[in-house]
Amino acid sequence: MKKLIATLAISVLASTITWSAAGADENYPERPVSVMVSYGAGGATDFQARIVTMVAGNEEYLGQPIVIINKPGAGGRVGWNWFASNADPDGYTLAAYNVPHFIAQSIKGGVKYSVDSFEPIANWGSDPAVVVVSKDSQFNSMKDLLDHAKANPGKVTMSGAGLFVGHHIAALQIGKASGAKLAYIPTKGGGAAAMKAVIAGDVMAGINNLSDAYRARQSGNVKILGVADLERNTEFLPDVPTLKEQGLDVDNSSVNFRGLMVPKGTPKAIIDKLAASVPEMFANKRVAKQMNAGGSPMKIIGRDEVKKMWAARQASLTELLKGL
Amino acid sequence: MEFLSYFGGVFEPVALLLLIGGTMGGLILGATPGLSPTMAVALLIPFTFHLSPTQGLILLGAAYTSTVAGGAVTAILLKIPGAPANIATALDGNKMAKQGHGARALHLSFLASGFGGVIGVLILIFLTPILAVWALAFGPSHLFWMAILGVTVIGSLDSKSFVKGLLSGCIGLWLSMIGYDDIQGAQRFIFADALTGGINIIAALIGLFAIPQVLEMIAKGRFAASVEAITVPKQRIMDSFRELTQNIRSLSIGTVVGSIVGLIPGVGGQIAGLVAYDQARKFSPHRDKFGTGHPEGVIAAESANNAMVGPSLVPLLTLSIPGSPTAAVLLGGLLINGIFPGSDLFENHPQVAWTFINSMLVGQILMVIFGIYTAAWAARIARVPTPIMAAAVLVLAVFGSYSVQQSMGDVYVMLALGVGMFFLERFGFSAAPLVLGLILGPIAEANFIQGSMIADAQSGPWQYFLTGTLNLFLVALVVLSVAYSFRSNKARNPATKPSRGVAT
Amino acid sequence: MISSRSQHLIPASAIFAVSAVVAWLSFTQEPADAFLFPRVISVFFLGLAGWNFTRAALGLARVGDGVPRRVLKNIAPGLSVMLIFVFFLAGGLGFYVGSALAFAAIYTLYDPAPVSDLRAWRKRIVVTVLFMTVIYGLFALLLKVQTPRGFFF
Repeated sequence: MKKLIATLAISVLASTITWSAAGADENYPERPVSVMVSYGAGGATDFQARIVTMVAGNEEYLGQPIVIINKPGAGGRVGWNWFASNADPDGYTLAAYNVPHFIAQSIKGGVKYSVDSFEPIANWGSDPAVVVVSKDSQFNSMKDLLDHAKANPGKVTMSGAGLFVGHHIAALQIGKASGAKLAYIPTKGGGAAAMKAVIAGDVMAGINNLSDAYRARQSGNVKILGVADLERNTEFLPDVPTLKEQGLDVDNSSVNFRGLMVPKGTPKAIIDKLAASVPEMFANKRVAKQMNAGGSPMKIIGRDEVKKMWAARQASLTELLKGL
Repeated sequence: MEFLSYFGGVFEPVALLLLIGGTMGGLILGATPGLSPTMAVALLIPFTFHLSPTQGLILLGAAYTSTVAGGAVTAILLKIPGAPANIATALDGNKMAKQGHGARALHLSFLASGFGGVIGVLILIFLTPILAVWALAFGPSHLFWMAILGVTVIGSLDSKSFVKGLLSGCIGLWLSMIGYDDIQGAQRFIFADALTGGINIIAALIGLFAIPQVLEMIAKGRFAASVEAITVPKQRIMDSFRELTQNIRSLSIGTVVGSIVGLIPGVGGQIAGLVAYDQARKFSPHRDKFGTGHPEGVIAAESANNAMVGPSLVPLLTLSIPGSPTAAVLLGGLLINGIFPGSDLFENHPQVAWTFINSMLVGQILMVIFGIYTAAWAARIARVPTPIMAAAVLVLAVFGSYSVQQSMGDVYVMLALGVGMFFLERFGFSAAPLVLGLILGPIAEANFIQGSMIADAQSGPWQYFLTGTLNLFLVALVVLSVAYSFRSNKARNPATKPSRGVAT
Repeated sequence: MISSRSQHLIPASAIFAVSAVVAWLSFTQEPADAFLFPRVISVFFLGLAGWNFTRAALGLARVGDGVPRRVLKNIAPGLSVMLIFVFFLAGGLGFYVGSALAFAAIYTLYDPAPVSDLRAWRKRIVVTVLFMTVIYGLFALLLKVQTPRGFFF
């Protein structure tokens, strides 16, 4: 027994020394890497982050497992604030980003981050916002809904996952493009709570993630009136027209892009290493299979393209949110 | 009776092994401070990647049921509830342990959990189609009133003084508002950097219960090691069983309350135990004994928090809406395997759905068996000398609160709240109403704000919050509950208020 | 020894002061929308705290044991260990080393065996190492929690 304890103590000590001595970037990563998700366990972002990182432990990718940490609160502000101000830029703490959420929040102010606080690694998915109504609703198209909204200004309630997240942006754009006055109702508890409000009839319509709406439609609870993207989603919702097709000038600003990022100041060698291996990890066959099974559209974009996308969003969102 | 034909799947070797492993692991994880059922289930998701959908769900279901019950072990022996669901168990359970009835309290808690749990799953099996509609009936206004109903329980919960109970609740409500507000994103009461993320409920729970325990242990000084050590004498299981059957009233109150609270999406199982405890006391002829180590308190609380498990899955399995954080994680577990809960589940994957539900039924029974065994080990835990126990609980509290979100800020908050609570407890305040305030604050606020926004767009707040049968029913319950609290408060302190008459 | 009534006044006035600050903040901070609920709560909070303060001042409702000097004296070393552990050791030396030191310190401080007893020291070290091994196994290996690594780990 004593011998066992001694062996254990020595091995623990030995591992300490190797850990603290290692500063070299080329051996990165030498221990499990964590990914911070600013939404609760079970939400769409958390669920997808868990899938796309599940093969990280394979030798050809990181060779170390990725652990998900949830820091939910205030539409993501809590987690990203922590990430911008408290996370060590050593490559062992990554975070999931949600564009346009964090960019819109930083433009609106009151947070400790902006696009310049983070370095993107790669994008794994794009989840467009869609307009949903409950299955018994009188509305069958965007026109029905917006005509009703114009006849009853401010009376049409529309749920979404929070303020200054993709759903809110979509609602603002729809309002702007149609001239109708909509009452946007942010829910606490993310897309699931917003969807519940639609199905239960607490609100007249809702904006939700394509993946969640697809699932809700599969179980026969909602109708999907339109997709807030440039093109139809051929994979899951080929029959649902985009808002543009229905005569509304709504682009893809509200599409929820999800990917991984590191804090500013992370060594360049580590960023390069991640930027090279992470997109390959996302492209893994098993990942693709499980993402598809869950109804989550994938869109793998490399670091340089994501940087451009962030900059473009920054510009378009500044414009859109100017009047608020 | 369709479910009976799928029992075979539960007893396949791999499935059974997973069920046993999941149950035992769940009990241990549940007893670890900081690991709530939600976290335990989330931690297991990666394991399910390597299993078939049915097997994965069996593992998750077993872990869910047993973590809820496992939290009772530390609640009873150390007065440290493993999860918010076990707070009410600690109130009487720990007193029982201190009086030398630790094994009895553990037996009763597991038997009651098992009973409540089985009924809960049976409700899930037989009443799902009817209840699904019911679960949707609760809109923001109703949830707001539900939360207010919970607040009215605060004053009478585990308090020697009515005012101090309410005041503790108010402190909890205030603490719950620290941090970014969830809807507007405005910063509120952030005095220190550690508070930016708000007060995490699990970290707060650990601090409020575990740290005062550590301080109480060391307050006796260094030479008192064995003076008040808890003894856990052997208890015959048949005696415990008989005792349970003698307490049908609290057992059924717990089961019914737990099932109802579990059904309502958004309220969650966190308050099922506390509400059931309160109801059982109101209906009990021995209501003065509650809080002094009365078995009815343990039975009501534990039957409620496991009865909640089955019904909490009704909205998930039928409408694909997760009604609680844990259900949300289970949803992820289903989706990863390409299974969409909802009508699709029972039509196209009956094998998966029914095997999952059946495994929860078998899991409840396994949980009781393993739980009873832990009662035997508990004797050993209780024999640990006080200084080691104090040091161990402190280190566990620090690790537990850190690992919730891997944040040092949570550890600071945990310790600060804990030290504060120790001093407050010595002046007659108590932790249970404070935690209840902390849990209910955000539910009440979010639904109030959301309800008022909907009301503004439609008919105005008065009509929205105060019309409709369900609203009026809940308001009536709130009024009754307040009236009851005032009356029993007067009955307890007849000297302070001699006037009778209007009891609002 | 402070009298029981004045001792009860200390928490009562502290809570009253907190409630006053909360109320003041709730009614002055912007945006008003986000402080609607805090305002409602703070009114109740202030009222109850005031009531409680009055009762304490009148010497009513003295429930609880208070904090006798003996208790303060007993908890003072342990409480200091806790604070030093959480605020300095855990981050500075690393979570595991800090925890081991705090564990050993609390154990030693409150162990009835005399400080000079060698056998007791051996037991203390063995128990500490064993306990920390279990903790390491549970949190680092099983749950893969990444703890702050200070000077050691």
